[in-house]
Amino acid sequence: MTHKSSTPGRGLIAFIKDVITWNLSGGLAYQFFLCILAAFMMLGIYAYLVQFKIGLGVTNMSNIVSWGLYISNFTFFVGVAAAAVMLILPAYIFKDKDLHKVVIIGEGVAVGALVMCLLFIIADLGGPLNAWHLIPGIGILNWPSSLLAWDIIVINGYLALNLLVPFYIIYCHYNNRAPNENKYRPFIFLSIFWAFAIHMITAFLYEGLPARPFWNNPLMGPRFLASAFAAGPALISVVLIIIDTATTFKINSKIFNKLRLIIVVSAIINLIMLFSEVFKEFYFTTHHSLSAVYLFFGLDGYDALVPWIWTAISMNILGTVILAFNPGKNKPFVLLPACVLLFTGIWIEKGMGLIIPGLVPSPLGEIVDYAPSWVEVSITLGILAFGIFVVTFLIKPAIIIEQRFEEDRRLH
Amino acid sequence: MDIRKNNENKNQKESSPNQTTDKKKKFGRRDFLKGAAKAAALGSVAMASGCGTALLPSKEERELRWKEYFKKNYRLMTVSEKEETVRRLERLAKIKKDVSIQMSSKAAIPGVLYGYAFNVTRCEGFMECVAACVKENNLDRKSKTQYIRIFEMEPGEMAPAAGNGKYFHEVPVEGHFYMGAQCFHCENPPCVKACPTKATWKEPDGIVVVDYNWCIGCRYCMAACPYYGRRFNWHDPEVPAKEMTKKQHYLGNRMRARGQMEKCTFCVQRTREGRLPACVEACPTGARVFGNLLDPKSEIRFVLKNKKVFRLKEELTTDPKFWYFID
Amino acid sequence: MIRDVMNISRCKKNIFRIFAALFFILAGKTAYCGSGGVIETYKNATAPFDDEKLVDPMLSFSDHLVLVNIKYQGGKFWTRTRKDKIERFKCSKCHNNQDVNRPEAAKIAHGDIRLVHGGQEKPLQCFTCHNKDDRDFLVTEKGVIIDMDHSYKLCGQCHFRQKKDWVGGAHGKRVSYWAGKRVVRNCTSCHNPHSPRFKKRWPATYSHPLD
Repeated sequence: MTHKSSTPGRGLIAFIKDVITWNLSGGLAYQFFLCILAAFMMLGIYAYLVQFKIGLGVTNMSNIVSWGLYISNFTFFVGVAAAAVMLILPAYIFKDKDLHKVVIIGEGVAVGALVMCLLFIIADLGGPLNAWHLIPGIGILNWPSSLLAWDIIVINGYLALNLLVPFYIIYCHYNNRAPNENKYRPFIFLSIFWAFAIHMITAFLYEGLPARPFWNNPLMGPRFLASAFAAGPALISVVLIIIDTATTFKINSKIFNKLRLIIVVSAIINLIMLFSEVFKEFYFTTHHSLSAVYLFFGLDGYDALVPWIWTAISMNILGTVILAFNPGKNKPFVLLPACVLLFTGIWIEKGMGLIIPGLVPSPLGEIVDYAPSWVEVSITLGILAFGIFVVTFLIKPAIIIEQRFEEDRRLH
Repeated sequence: MDIRKNNENKNQKESSPNQTTDKKKKFGRRDFLKGAAKAAALGSVAMASGCGTALLPSKEERELRWKEYFKKNYRLMTVSEKEETVRRLERLAKIKKDVSIQMSSKAAIPGVLYGYAFNVTRCEGFMECVAACVKENNLDRKSKTQYIRIFEMEPGEMAPAAGNGKYFHEVPVEGHFYMGAQCFHCENPPCVKACPTKATWKEPDGIVVVDYNWCIGCRYCMAACPYYGRRFNWHDPEVPAKEMTKKQHYLGNRMRARGQMEKCTFCVQRTREGRLPACVEACPTGARVFGNLLDPKSEIRFVLKNKKVFRLKEELTTDPKFWYFID
Repeated sequence: MIRDVMNISRCKKNIFRIFAALFFILAGKTAYCGSGGVIETYKNATAPFDDEKLVDPMLSFSDHLVLVNIKYQGGKFWTRTRKDKIERFKCSKCHNNQDVNRPEAAKIAHGDIRLVHGGQEKPLQCFTCHNKDDRDFLVTEKGVIIDMDHSYKLCGQCHFRQKKDWVGGAHGKRVSYWAGKRVVRNCTSCHNPHSPRFKKRWPATYSHPLD
């Protein structure tokens, strides 16, 4: 980190300038990384232009499978965003000093995930230019009746909370003064409630539809939380491992251990709930279990999801077992693949594995297989790249500022 | 304007694909050259009016589209605003497709609540209703959108899910019966509850309608419907000008655009004038009964009083206004 | 520090209050939605609907109509005529006491008629329905003479259940309008009286595969 020696000016304009320069400067590997992200984003933009011009018909969605890859990813990343609370909660309520250090990274990941969620929703809209119809005042928000209206409110609110609080803290640190805790603590507490709310409400979005028995399941909310609190910290662990190896910001192995424990407990609860759901569907299979049959074994020769769900469950179990027994003693080379396994497993299971079977078979019994088209895949990749870009953009300056602030503290 | 030229052209089939590809190329180049912002603006106009065929819209057309884009939700419009938008849409149809349509914004008749009954014994699966519905409601011919589905059922079950909705052979087949399903116009519609922008609602006469222009295309209503009653426009719908039903209603059979939800409206353009929905009128076996539930001497009330009726998925308390009965 | 805690607790309390309030509003709204139901609504609707006043009186019928001489729920209703749709009505033009001067006249006039009515054990014959003595009219089993426009009376002697449903509106169909004066199709508007069952045929269209 070459920037440490330079003494940047203070104030908002200097702050913005510094953030931008820090983000754009870096080693060759970093530049290469940015280029790859940019390439994927361009691909996504191109695919979106195609979709915008021709219509959602360029996706493989149909009147039966009316939600596909976009909404699947949206659902999953809401969980990732909510998982930042697993760092905030111990750091601020139980005053955990280790986790306090990485809270800011967790919040950065949350912001990235939320941005992706919003983009996935916009990509999924048939009339994105009519989105202003949702804004109360000039449009109509069907609140409190529509759970989608609730979801829009909570996601945007959570995004605001996760942007404002870290910005305040970072900005104070940048100006080399301690942030006033009285000012931001209420918002921290609010964000804890809010994190649970965004995930529960996203679950209610599906849970509240009696038309879809696969979703109309009271375990949906809790299971969303459990899987999110496993997948989110797993992703944060991965990010921390990357930061630990790629930057001078060193992460204490205690943090990894604590995160690992959080992940293991959540993943086990998640697996118990999965078992409970599977039991309910297959002990006495009813018409309402057809979606589950389609998901796990295929129905009438349609079985596009079967390999995916079994892969996901295997990854899920394997990841959980590795993290529980911790053979590598929190060493990155074991922790990283285990976290990636668990994260990917939950991604498949709570993304496509949740959304598609809810829609198949249709209420009138029709079965249709779904696999995303190139446009859907490209837009999804573009949005993911943008999400990673946002996370990088937020975390990189944050780390530099935090390190400098701590050094200043030590010197005085 | 282009369509008129096409019609004049004798080799219609050969010329039209070439023209469309040309158009696409030009349009694409323009988009990229003029930058994302302009593309979005151009698209917005195209989106709002539901057509991207005209390359250089006239000033009048641009103004009409602009006003259409910023109009209110239909339910919030005053009577004169409704009248204005209906005139604008008529004019746009004339400019863009050279079709003279007559659009109505007629409100619900007081004291009317529409109800529908389907005679499971009488239906013989001729699907005249489906064909009539497609024609009357200007349903997309390209993706072959249909509001009505008819299921060929074997005795022993009473749920369409158990039947065959894809039959195409001589009907009726011995030992089978036929059952139709469409939007049931629930009194407690889950789709209306789900819509985040109030783009769909239940009219005073009980018809569940969509304000196509207000719809943002999130498809949450589709997920919420337990009867597969809704259809989404994945592409821009195509109806040849010659085949188009010209007598339209704002909430009914007017042309939709891509990205909008649509559904059966009990042919609101007909029923509000006292006429029967197209499916009822077309049914050759008299399996479909339609009328005013609030009128004690209506046919629908006779059926409900004298026949053993049932509704689909009653346990969901959606309270459909569509009953099945058996002779 | 104490003030901090108080601030937080106040904040928390308010959040709980807001959430509680929202919960009750939502619960109330949901409960309200579930009450009543359409069955209750229509059962309570007993006042007659004034067709004349509420629906445009422009409803018109191109068809020739005849007033049915059965009361429909206390009201009048009309049905389509039959006689003007029979090619060679009046029948008495041929069926009179004059000699037939062409061979095979019966085949030429009525050769297209296939009588598939009444089942195999007890098939119907021409004079089960047609009046032998006055060919312009139909006749019931009991010998009541019936005008061809009012054929529902004849059909109703066996198909009395269908007739009851037809009068009420559960069988047959209205012509064009659900409102205004009630005009229904006659039995013979849909059924060929000589072979009343609908013929097998191909459906008008098919359902497009859904994917």
